[in-house]
Amino acid sequence: MLYIHHTSCIYPQKGLDSPAGPVNNLLKAVEPAYDGIPGNVLRRMSKSVKMGIGAALPLLKYAPDGILIGTGYGGMEDSIRFLNQIEKYDEGVLTPATFVQSTANAIASQLGLIHHNRGYNITFVNRGLSFESALLDAAMLVKEHPGKTWLVSGVDEISDHHYRFECAEGWYKNGISAGEGDAGEGAAAAGEEAAGEGTAGEGAVGEGAAAAGEGAAAFLLNDQPAGALARISKIVLLGGQDEEALRSALRSILDGLSPDLLLSGENGDNRTLKWYRIAESLMGPDTGIARFKHLCGEYPTASAFALWLACNLPAALPGHLLKRPPAVTPRHILFYNNYKFTQHSLLLLERFPCHARDNK
Amino acid sequence: MSRVFVTGIGIISAVGSTLAENRAALAAGKSGIGFTATLPSRYAGVLPFGAIQTTTDEWRERFRISDPGVTRTTLLALHAFSDAIADAGLTGTSLRDPAVALVGATTVGGMCLTDELYRDTTQPCDHSPFLSSYDGASVHLYLQTRHKMTGPATTINTACSSSANAIQYGARLIRNGLATTAIVGGADSLAKFTINGFHSLQILSAAPCRPFDRDRAGLNLGEGAAYLVLEGEETAAGKTIYAELTGYCNANDAFHPSALSVTGIGPHLAMQGALRTAGLEPAAIDFINTHGTATENNDEAEGSAMLRLFGELPPFVSTKSYTGHTLGAAGAVEAVYSILSICHQELYPALNFAEPIPTVGIRPVRAYQPHAVRHVLSNSFGFGGNCTSLIFSNVN
Amino acid sequence: METVQLKQQLKRQIIEFLNLTDITPESIEDDKPLFGDEGLGLDSIDSLELIVLLNREYGIVIKDLKEGRKVLVDVNTMVDYIEKHRTK
Repeated sequence: MLYIHHTSCIYPQKGLDSPAGPVNNLLKAVEPAYDGIPGNVLRRMSKSVKMGIGAALPLLKYAPDGILIGTGYGGMEDSIRFLNQIEKYDEGVLTPATFVQSTANAIASQLGLIHHNRGYNITFVNRGLSFESALLDAAMLVKEHPGKTWLVSGVDEISDHHYRFECAEGWYKNGISAGEGDAGEGAAAAGEEAAGEGTAGEGAVGEGAAAAGEGAAAFLLNDQPAGALARISKIVLLGGQDEEALRSALRSILDGLSPDLLLSGENGDNRTLKWYRIAESLMGPDTGIARFKHLCGEYPTASAFALWLACNLPAALPGHLLKRPPAVTPRHILFYNNYKFTQHSLLLLERFPCHARDNK
Repeated sequence: MSRVFVTGIGIISAVGSTLAENRAALAAGKSGIGFTATLPSRYAGVLPFGAIQTTTDEWRERFRISDPGVTRTTLLALHAFSDAIADAGLTGTSLRDPAVALVGATTVGGMCLTDELYRDTTQPCDHSPFLSSYDGASVHLYLQTRHKMTGPATTINTACSSSANAIQYGARLIRNGLATTAIVGGADSLAKFTINGFHSLQILSAAPCRPFDRDRAGLNLGEGAAYLVLEGEETAAGKTIYAELTGYCNANDAFHPSALSVTGIGPHLAMQGALRTAGLEPAAIDFINTHGTATENNDEAEGSAMLRLFGELPPFVSTKSYTGHTLGAAGAVEAVYSILSICHQELYPALNFAEPIPTVGIRPVRAYQPHAVRHVLSNSFGFGGNCTSLIFSNVN
Repeated sequence: METVQLKQQLKRQIIEFLNLTDITPESIEDDKPLFGDEGLGLDSIDSLELIVLLNREYGIVIKDLKEGRKVLVDVNTMVDYIEKHRTK
């Protein structure tokens, strides 16, 4: 069991009440002032490193025994800045700062540096399962080191170049912003309901996600139930495109439980709808269905935002989240995300709603 | 928790494309570092590298891969991975078992396609076959997909300690009952991007590197891949076992983004932690495969930390004078060399060593020698202060 | 270029090159140490960056960090070195 005690998040909204839509298909993070990061250190940082540190800083005061980061894109923007130098100066005399910052473990190492944290320090780069890999590692650590506490985070920035690549590969509906509502050809071909089904926050239905996003969400985890906000009781990760394997994984993770809420990673791409329908088909009629990617956009570690959201759901669930309202205030939540068809993550979460929240 | 055994090995480096070739080079004191790297960089032929002489096209032909998006890093990984699984008798159906994990590591990933990446960022990239190859995950996702693996799988990037971390993570998957078998390791290829990155930090040596030598002048970059097949007690029963992974620890130096603390706080913590998990005293270690990059900073810090921990040092060597620094693959390559030392009960000689570093005064093994080897410590320390130490032990 | 002007130019270049967004040229005293907590607080990566700055802006080649440490003490020592060795 992984007990979540504190959470922190930097994401593309000022709050959960009236979400802003994407601009030019992008949902950019609302960044804080980063007062806690020394100017000397801040000046070198890429956005992903700033966000990763900005989200984790409030939790570092609890002196975690280790730092675990998941990032899909890593330091892509800084890599390209360094690459531009290589080309501009024909491999001549180059400045090293962007190279050092471009390393995927820059976030984890900076966090260790800022607070002289000498504990376990690791970075996973596994696309849509990067954050989940870190969670799995934390699940092992709590068993191996009872009583210790771990900081786990998922971080990704919108890299302009990466976004361009992903548009070229057809992962985004280029130039369409949320709420336009016209079903694309793909939706009709898939035999899905036309737009209008896409009410709360789904955006235009067609091929490709509605918006690209970014963010950083951090969690303090241990094996102590007392005072916890929530616990993750099961983590199931799948690769491939086997529908029966997904059904089997869903049955296995639920093990007869009917969750109060399915938190779904639907992102407006009709090609992934069949996976979410499989998850929905195994829910009882009282299970609510909520979606979140209109808040954070699509990116490899969006599941970290979803976990933060699940831990910080307001008592009255905003309508824009809900595809179907739950029968009761959600306590047991099943999270399912599908990243680019072949990476599936399932988390079973139980919220303990009686405790005070760190809502950052 | 289950014990963890090594039942299969695959490796490729500048000194050989098989386990036997690598061992022969180490025993003969024959380095693979030279000036003949053929890569699209102005430093090819200018700086020494631990290059593998097979071209990327030759690899593609060998594996009958026509997809240009399968990068050199992935091809090196495929070679070593294929050898490892064959060595352990794992093929086809057994790889698809959900209890078989894949934990890989790379720092370069698809960035070996440096020129292609630049083109794709500056020109329309609609028909580029490389777009999904650039990231770190591409290498091991390719292996996972090619072999239809369904068990836990991930990629780690902690710079130079990456594949050592992959090894400890895979072992812990087994010990925590999340897998019965874990194929663990890493791959990195020589890339214009990384060559220039290290050059900008002024830590590349213009001559073959001299680990732990007073006059060391920096590292040589290398390329390679290595994988271990780790199995728990139950599945390893009846199989040939190379060695047991008895100790591991990751710790953070927390001093500087690209340098270790002078006294090697992180290395000390990692080595001490590995001994603790192995239940061993420092005196039990018979041989240390050091990180030993031959940078001014690393060797002094690592040497300092070793002295503080061991007092009297066991024999030690850095094999980076044979292979160059293979970055994301280094932890796994050097784990293999640690295991070879155990299997053959021998110590490998340091190359290019003449005088010790004055502040630490330590001397590596100077000549090949048969030696009783029960426990070997292997160190890997990465940018950002990421320090991992592994201990392999003889099962005989 | 007059020494005074060169000092001002160099201070602006240092700020821009190292992205020292919360520092003004006026606040950098000519003899304020560039490195260490008592001074501007730069570190070893900054020293490599300054070596590149000297190369790109003034055509000066500093072969390694040891040589660099003697030059990169404060603005005075840097300007002195530039005046003696610049090729641009």
